[in-house]
Amino acid sequence: MKALISGCLAWCIGISFSLAQNRPLLYDFTEIPQSLMVNPGAQSGLQWYAGVPLLSGIGVQGGSSGVTVQDIFADDGLDINDKIRQRAVYGMDPRDEFTGTSQIELLSGGFRGRNHPENFYSFGIYNETDAITYWLGDLAVLAWDGNADQLGRRFDLSHLKTQGQMLNVFHFGINRQINDRLTLGARGKIYSGIFDVRSARNEGYFVTVEGEDNLLANTLDSDMRLQSSGVEALRRKLQEDGADQTAVIQNHILSRGFFGGDLGLGVDLGFTYQLNERLLLTGSLLDLGFMVHSTDVRNFSLDGQATSEGVQIILPDALEDPDQNFWQDFIDEIEALIPFEEDAKTYLAFRPTRLYASIRYNTGGTARPAAPCYCDYRSGKSARNQPYRDAFGAQLFMINRPRGPRAALTAFYQRRFGDILALKATYTVDKFSLTRVGLGMNLQAGPVEFYLLADNLLAYANLADAHFASLQFGLNILSWGRN
Amino acid sequence: MKQKAVQFLGFWLFFLAVGCVEEQNFDQADDIAVIPEMEAAMLLLETPEEVINGEPGLTFLSETFDFLAFQEQFVAENILDGSLIYQLENTTSKPLRLSIEFLNDAGTVLDSETFTMDPAPTAILNREVVYGPAGKPLDILTSTVALRISGTNLGDTSSISGEPEPKFVLRSTAKFRIQLQ
Repeated sequence: MKALISGCLAWCIGISFSLAQNRPLLYDFTEIPQSLMVNPGAQSGLQWYAGVPLLSGIGVQGGSSGVTVQDIFADDGLDINDKIRQRAVYGMDPRDEFTGTSQIELLSGGFRGRNHPENFYSFGIYNETDAITYWLGDLAVLAWDGNADQLGRRFDLSHLKTQGQMLNVFHFGINRQINDRLTLGARGKIYSGIFDVRSARNEGYFVTVEGEDNLLANTLDSDMRLQSSGVEALRRKLQEDGADQTAVIQNHILSRGFFGGDLGLGVDLGFTYQLNERLLLTGSLLDLGFMVHSTDVRNFSLDGQATSEGVQIILPDALEDPDQNFWQDFIDEIEALIPFEEDAKTYLAFRPTRLYASIRYNTGGTARPAAPCYCDYRSGKSARNQPYRDAFGAQLFMINRPRGPRAALTAFYQRRFGDILALKATYTVDKFSLTRVGLGMNLQAGPVEFYLLADNLLAYANLADAHFASLQFGLNILSWGRN
Repeated sequence: MKQKAVQFLGFWLFFLAVGCVEEQNFDQADDIAVIPEMEAAMLLLETPEEVINGEPGLTFLSETFDFLAFQEQFVAENILDGSLIYQLENTTSKPLRLSIEFLNDAGTVLDSETFTMDPAPTAILNREVVYGPAGKPLDILTSTVALRISGTNLGDTSSISGEPEPKFVLRSTAKFRIQLQ
């Protein structure tokens, strides 16, 4: 049990400080090639780009809608158990979540078609780790205080919702300028699963009431499942005598991350539509896909309903069989009613699909000429030469999560400083924070381009008290023209 | 412009670099104590009066059976304290005595609880037996692998109570604190 609790704690803390799904700073920041990863239909004037391997895109993001590290571990002289009780056990609800995502581009590149210059192709491989766990709610109360003196209280087992996975994504995308107004994009993805753990569709309750015959009756009505793949083999290897844990983990990730584990397919779709010379509408749907978990699968289930009023010796029936084992009969009956089962059945899991949409108004500079499009691939000009200097607008982000969609709304302002620098500032409202201000920078020196995007800047004053933090950066070699 | 860009980059990196974390005391994690108090039905014994009258030897019950509730390794290692709560009800016409003995795996009696009940009408008997620092040693429970229950009729074997469905009932629950962390 200690291992379980330690694991839960590590899980929550770990995912809170690992990474990011919503990338308001990167979205439609078209000076950065990786903006195609969040909208394959973004307007792009690039001729080609090549990401520096392992450095072209690194993003980490973590969030907690409930307690922060500061809430629990501040050196404030208060009893930590009181803080946990007040701020977590009874201060959070089951919709509060700890979430984290990290993404590291292993390989990234893109080029414009020679025969079809209206097409821009991009490709690459990235590693993604994504995890979310909701606050355990009733289960936390049960673990903290127990069920004593809580007659009639139903501890809701559905409060256990957690999932996490690591995978490599191999992708190839096409961005096509259909006409002066419309740009469409699509990206096909092959997922190579490294590990997956999920327990998100639990139902049932545990309740203690006055018994019909005994003082108490304990009832467990359970429909709980935990599915995993890519975990058991790793666990066994780590437990081997003399195992080099770092090497074992590296080998596990490498072997399963390059088509040695689970496989899946997905697609990203996106568009940009120019309503007039200054007003743009964009949208994208990402990771519309699934994973088939068929390797190294280990699933557990607890499904059934049982009520116990303890070991029962009811005479005279109890005396009929002198060899009757009351205890074993009691245990067998419970286990028959709520069997704890294990299997290795393949399971299907859908990716956390994300939706972006934005409306953007360009200002400054000169209005776009009638044709061609200001960022037209045919112009062969740098996006920095686009005829506007400033842009502002709003973005919407949604992601499907185990407890339903989660949304964020962003207002942004973008400004270009000559040929070298472009900045984007955002203000985002979501369940994690109402004071989330982000700032992104794209810097280009010749063919070398560097970008840095940091969200929730106010949290940097004390990261321990942050409900959300996000940082992305990358380094590319690129060409806007024909250099 | 290049100079401005470099200056801005410098400012930006400086800003991120000075992003700080107030001092935290993670040693507090050692003080976390997760100690739920769990409560569950334990044992139910029910004997109608005709069964008691049917035993001329006056010992209407003598059963020894496995009882491993406190033997499960996690419980045995982490139980802190608690109590067994008994409730006895006698609506028969005779005085009765019930004895519960706690046996270890060698068959040795570690402890016993004896209850004597007057014939009906009588009040319900409630008894709470505490285990742990403020009561009996917890070892009694953590070493118990079996219970021996003996019921003795202290009256006659012919009288019949005027109560509806006269019987003798033992109800019990266990209520314990367990240290999870």
